[in-house]
Amino acid sequence: MGVAALWVVVFLIPPVLSSHADPAEPENQLLSVRVIPEEVDLWGAGAAQRIVVLGQFADGMRRDVSDQAEITVSNPECVRLGESRRIIALTDGEVVLTATVAGRSASAQVRVQGSRQQRPFSFQRDIGSIFTKNGCNTTDCHGGVKGKGGFKLSLNAVLPKDDYHWIIEGGTFQVLTDEVEGERVPRISLEEPEKSLLLQKPTFEVAHGGGERFKVGSDDYRTILDWIRAGAPYGEESGDSVKIEGLELFPREAVLGLDGKYQLLVTAVLSNGRREDATDQALYTSNNKDVAKVSQGGMVEAVKTGETAVMVRAAGHAASATFGVIADPIADYPEIPRHNFIDEHVFAKLEKFNIVPSEPCGDEQFLRRACLDVAGMLPPPERVRQFFADPDPNKRAKLIEVLLGSPEYVEYWTFRFADIYRVAYYSVFSAKGTHAYWQWLRENIQSNKPYDQIAREKLACQGPRGATGHYHIDRPPEDMMSEEVRVLLGRRFDCAQCHNHPYEAWSQNQFWGLTAFFGRLTEIGQYSKGIIVDLPGGHRDRGMGGPILHPRNNQEVQPTFLDGRILPDEKRRDPRMELADWMVSHPYFAEATVNRMWGYFFGRGIVDPVDDFRSTNPPTHPELLAELAADFVEHGYDLKHLIRRIVSSRTYQLSGVPNETNRDDQINYSHALARRLDAEVLLDAISEVTGVPEVFNHESGGGIAPPGTRAVNLIETDTYPSRFLDIHGRPDRLNVPERDGKANILQAMHMLVGSTFHDKLGGEGGRLDRLIKSEAPDAEIIEELCLAALTRQPTADERSALLAMLAAQPDRPQALEDVLWGLISSREFTYNH
Amino acid sequence: MDRTVKKVGCLTCHEKDMNRRDFLRVGSLGVLGMSLSQFLHVKSALASVGGVNEKAKAQACILIWLEGGASQVDTWDPKPNSNFKAISTNVPGIQVSELLPRMAGQMDKISIVRSMQTEEDNHAGASYYALTGHRPSPAMRFPSFGSIITKELGPRNNVPPHVLAPQWERERQYERYFGSAFIGPENDPMVVPDPSREDFHIDDLRLPKGLSLERVERRQAFMDIWDRFHREKMEVAEYSNMDSFRAQALNMIMTPDVREAFDLTKEPDATRDLYGRGPVGQSVLLARRLVEAGSRFVTAAGFPFNSWDTHSDNDAKHRDEQVPALDRALSALLIDLDRRGLLESTVVIAMGEFGRTPHINAKLGRDHWPDCWSLVVGGGGIAGGRVVGASDERGAYVAESQTSMGDVYATIYKALGIDWEKTYMTPIGRPIKVATSIGGETGVPLKELI
Repeated sequence: MGVAALWVVVFLIPPVLSSHADPAEPENQLLSVRVIPEEVDLWGAGAAQRIVVLGQFADGMRRDVSDQAEITVSNPECVRLGESRRIIALTDGEVVLTATVAGRSASAQVRVQGSRQQRPFSFQRDIGSIFTKNGCNTTDCHGGVKGKGGFKLSLNAVLPKDDYHWIIEGGTFQVLTDEVEGERVPRISLEEPEKSLLLQKPTFEVAHGGGERFKVGSDDYRTILDWIRAGAPYGEESGDSVKIEGLELFPREAVLGLDGKYQLLVTAVLSNGRREDATDQALYTSNNKDVAKVSQGGMVEAVKTGETAVMVRAAGHAASATFGVIADPIADYPEIPRHNFIDEHVFAKLEKFNIVPSEPCGDEQFLRRACLDVAGMLPPPERVRQFFADPDPNKRAKLIEVLLGSPEYVEYWTFRFADIYRVAYYSVFSAKGTHAYWQWLRENIQSNKPYDQIAREKLACQGPRGATGHYHIDRPPEDMMSEEVRVLLGRRFDCAQCHNHPYEAWSQNQFWGLTAFFGRLTEIGQYSKGIIVDLPGGHRDRGMGGPILHPRNNQEVQPTFLDGRILPDEKRRDPRMELADWMVSHPYFAEATVNRMWGYFFGRGIVDPVDDFRSTNPPTHPELLAELAADFVEHGYDLKHLIRRIVSSRTYQLSGVPNETNRDDQINYSHALARRLDAEVLLDAISEVTGVPEVFNHESGGGIAPPGTRAVNLIETDTYPSRFLDIHGRPDRLNVPERDGKANILQAMHMLVGSTFHDKLGGEGGRLDRLIKSEAPDAEIIEELCLAALTRQPTADERSALLAMLAAQPDRPQALEDVLWGLISSREFTYNH
Repeated sequence: MDRTVKKVGCLTCHEKDMNRRDFLRVGSLGVLGMSLSQFLHVKSALASVGGVNEKAKAQACILIWLEGGASQVDTWDPKPNSNFKAISTNVPGIQVSELLPRMAGQMDKISIVRSMQTEEDNHAGASYYALTGHRPSPAMRFPSFGSIITKELGPRNNVPPHVLAPQWERERQYERYFGSAFIGPENDPMVVPDPSREDFHIDDLRLPKGLSLERVERRQAFMDIWDRFHREKMEVAEYSNMDSFRAQALNMIMTPDVREAFDLTKEPDATRDLYGRGPVGQSVLLARRLVEAGSRFVTAAGFPFNSWDTHSDNDAKHRDEQVPALDRALSALLIDLDRRGLLESTVVIAMGEFGRTPHINAKLGRDHWPDCWSLVVGGGGIAGGRVVGASDERGAYVAESQTSMGDVYATIYKALGIDWEKTYMTPIGRPIKVATSIGGETGVPLKELI
């Protein structure tokens, strides 16, 4: 063999993909291939990179065809091909790698540098990665809050110094304090390295609850053994060549056929700008193994149709990729018109995932849906007729403006925000404060105050009344902080109160650092005379001089932003104002806000639950979320603008009737989902349709609520109690509420025989009563009721069936009441769809 | 076992319950025009659900709630710093306050825990704590132990499995502390009015005037016509839930069992007098009837709001109002359960949210005291006639066997055949124990009792 001779290495594996994806099959021709990554930089001795070969097919799909590829390199002295399509650096130089499948070829440029230099050892990267990849430091095991079997590791190796300490020095971790429990038995033995617990346990040489994680003699075993033999150094932590800034995944989003496989590639981006392959050091988990599973080496395999996120953890970072599994790709995917950027994102993903959105909804559905979602009420029959008859092609846009400008809009959104801002009843002594709080909120909605300003006021408020209404001095500062973070930033911090967050990288220090901003919050006076201020003395339960103490070590905690910056002394007079300013300009704020608002219109947030952003709960449409947030900020945090964007999109206006391709989709907005009306909205709708307003009685005999009071106007739950509202899941708002919209037995009983349903039907002066007295014929009555309740005309079938049944009843008024009962108990009425 | 975060983005997982509901759905048109025989079919399907451990003796639990917190030294843990004397009981070695003469004759049936220690000293927080084992948190709501028992045992005989009587007259948020949080609205208590009232009745359990069964059926037929259009186009899992609840509801309305269980006029006057005719006694009597009919967890909360909260005139109020009502109702309950052969299968517990200060304040009252207090528990296989733990010479601090709420729950769960080390997964993926003790430890059944 000559030095310059080409050394051709041929990998020929019979196609393992089914005939459907066979590139040779004429119906599904392979059009081209690509090598991922297209440019490879290998730095350091033994550096390696996994390669994937992607094929673009005539059916529109991209598939991983790596195991059918012949791979050659132009200079076999520079790199060699290892197992699983790994190229491994040998000597410095530049090489071209070529992949060929069924006559199609593509290439990648490979550059090798520094092949004589070992990368400096780093405990976090070299040893920590072993713990991550083998699942040692997951929440179920040693990475859990308490560790396991007395041995604690940090989740995903985020705290390598701590891990190192537990290994080298031994001892048992205690959750709530820094003190170490028990005898200090090191987990490694420098004298007899093979007898180290750190080796014996994971290889199951001694009993290990986690079983065998790797074998004696495997790469991981040898790495640890060599490290112990070398004296178990800590090595570098933050040197340029070792510190990892983040992870990039390829693909970020992909679609598999039912028999499809796809190898994930993980790239670690270093602080010095270099990129390294971390595919073999990552821990992979599929969030929904029923849809797709992922192997230890990152090979994703389809199981059944659906969608799942695959979580990737490596080197203290986490990332996720979305995989969809589809049956047959749709030939001739239709062109779907787009109204705005929301549609761009939603429809692009639907097309990729082989789902065709439903038709746009008809005028009747749009009218009902928009009235409920924007103003919390049903349109009266005259409006319904008007809207249907209107020939104006822009009538939907005009309707949106009318709704946004209506007084009902103000009432409804005051009610919605009263929920999450917790306008609640605490005691008869604080009722006035609650009212003032509600009033403040209502004025904000009325004037369409920019939302960042509203949030700022809520968080930073001081004084006797108004925005301070949710601050109650019995509450410890850490609870107040967690609530603001949850409501305004969409993150649930509270797990980090006592220990580092079990799933996320939020630390207990961050939790208490933020809590310290509330350390000075106190109240002068009490109850209705109380004034909320920030004073040096701080929260009175903490005693004089009230500093916030870190529970683990009882040291005072300084107000610290999430990124670690400490609030300077000169800004400490108004710590909550500083926090508020920081919070509303933090990217979390805009995205949490738009996500929550989105949830109100679709029944589901782009991140769901809407206030539970975390790496293990990725957004279904990350780019959409980002653009919605950016658009919101650009337009001055204008809530009406945001609502307008959402409601004008074609996505919002899709029908609720599914088609064959989207029947199972619950998360990609391919069709409108049926959503149960909230308790207050439902009660108001029943009152409106029957024409019999609800009378709310004061809880301690103080008369009744002013006439015209609707359920959404009720300020809190206790002054005017309502059994209907309680059994339909109205929250008390004493905690950040999660409305329970589920059906239950009491609702069923009430619907069958309860007063709300029974008494309102034929109530004097009500809609039915007036219709009967006006001597309208049955057909007209049915039409009127149907328009009022369902925002549509009855169908011919409905008309004839109802008229026939009515004609057979001896007692006409009673029978009509029963028709009305049927209407307000129906699914179509009680759901928004 | 893979316990990594699963079903991310899914709010709650009621898979088990889903199957039960599907099973209950009768016909594709829902509950319409069912004949009596069809009612009975559904009734029998509902009749034997749940039941966990056949060997467990207990089938139900009654909680007598001492709203406001009873003074331990003036009731179950007599001490020299009480102004009342201690008296002997029918169990040698056990003494109670002289304010409990009737209970003194029933101490063989129930035991005292004198070393309760809890962590909240305001009413709202402490009530929440006593009922759930957790301090209130804005982040999430915890299920009460009563709702956990309801969930684990499941309903019996079509009777509402979890009941709270009576509703609070004010501060009704306290009722929510008895609630089921995320473990399902079917485990929430059904809250009923004051059973001692002349006009006591349960809403929505009876056809109102002018509404016959025929008419109910006709209404559902009309509803069906309206629903047909919608149902053909979009079928949603939620819909079937409502269908099955409607079937159950109709069942409850049409069969007399449930109404009768709630009908105290069916009790002889002598019995009603034995318990006491006020809200306390009649709520306890109602609890007995409901448990007899098949309920799983009933709270008798007849003591008016904060009535035990004797910040002033402690002695007078305890002696003249509070303790006599408790003495009468609890002793009647134990005698009555025993007589009917129900004591073996019914756990009885009487407690408030905390105890009271060992010292008297300037207004002759005692204030809140969570550091050491007493409760009584027995029945259902839990030993009677014992004492668990002890307080110091003033009833101020625990001297022996500190006991947490979690330990009490674990004891009751054990009697009911429920695994007290179980955890539930909350919607946000955080596991919580069904029996949580101080420090987040798992509660341990009291070995002296079970």
